[in-house]
Amino acid sequence: MPIRVKVRNAETGSTVDMEMENENTMDEIVRGAASFWNKNPGAYVLRRGKRLLRGSQTVLEVGLKDADELELIPDPEGGYRAPPQ
Amino acid sequence: MRGPSIVADQQANIRDLPPPARERTRAHKWLSERRLAEFKAKEKEGIELYLSKLAEEKIRNHALAHVRDRREVMGLLLGGIYRHDGTEYALVRDVATTDLDATDVSVRFDPRAFEKLFVQLDEIGFRYIIVGWYHSHPSYHCFMSSTDVQTQRTLFNLRAHSALVIDPVNKEIEAFFLDDGRVRSRPFAVFWDQFQSPYYGTSVRMRQTEVIVSGEMLEPDDAGNEERSGLRNDA
Repeated sequence: MPIRVKVRNAETGSTVDMEMENENTMDEIVRGAASFWNKNPGAYVLRRGKRLLRGSQTVLEVGLKDADELELIPDPEGGYRAPPQ
Repeated sequence: MRGPSIVADQQANIRDLPPPARERTRAHKWLSERRLAEFKAKEKEGIELYLSKLAEEKIRNHALAHVRDRREVMGLLLGGIYRHDGTEYALVRDVATTDLDATDVSVRFDPRAFEKLFVQLDEIGFRYIIVGWYHSHPSYHCFMSSTDVQTQRTLFNLRAHSALVIDPVNKEIEAFFLDDGRVRSRPFAVFWDQFQSPYYGTSVRMRQTEVIVSGEMLEPDDAGNEERSGLRNDA
């Protein structure tokens, strides 16, 4: 029986509803949502409330339930290399 | 087993909201002469980035706290994207950060500290949009490095998204955005809420009028003086 959760794009406020099975992983959720919004999945993390949902964890392991709300959070990197020419 | 599938989507609406009134905005005090001139020109046609006094102070204090150890700092800009009179603009109301994995030339969130960031996001008190990010270049001036540009292209590629770079050593600050893939400087204004003028106090606390000396509580007289003169100095 698939469950349906909402994933929010924190950079725009847009949301998608996703259906998934217990065996699906958090990585797959991130990839699916990031692909929909033309984003690089490697640059984001997924959260439910204050909890970080780690990539290889499954829906069952995380305990996702119908109507849960997840959020895609950017994971930026900054730093000085050299001024762009 | 098939992967998760998207069965519905909802685009966020950009609300029409007048930007902060001009009398409640200022250019940042760390702008260079050139950036100040750009700010004044942009003010006439419509500012696209407003930074609350609260967010500005948090960013500046965060960067200043790591001047001595020369560590870069970083965080997320939280607010909303609005439109008014044909101009789209971002309003940064607050910022969030967490423990960092930083050197003098690089910075990112400590992967073990995301949950601390999420607690802040949950306690922020409004439905935020992450409208950009800030980070510091301690003593390297404000520009977008190749790493910064890559981050902007990957994560913050909407026109309304901004990257705020602060150099706490040289006291410089500058915002950037992507314009058709090219990095450009973005003039921004600092604003304060109607009842939070930076030129007045933002909090009012009850003045302590009771003085306890040697276990004896003294009541002020009608003029507000303690009944025994000189006791305040003695206390």
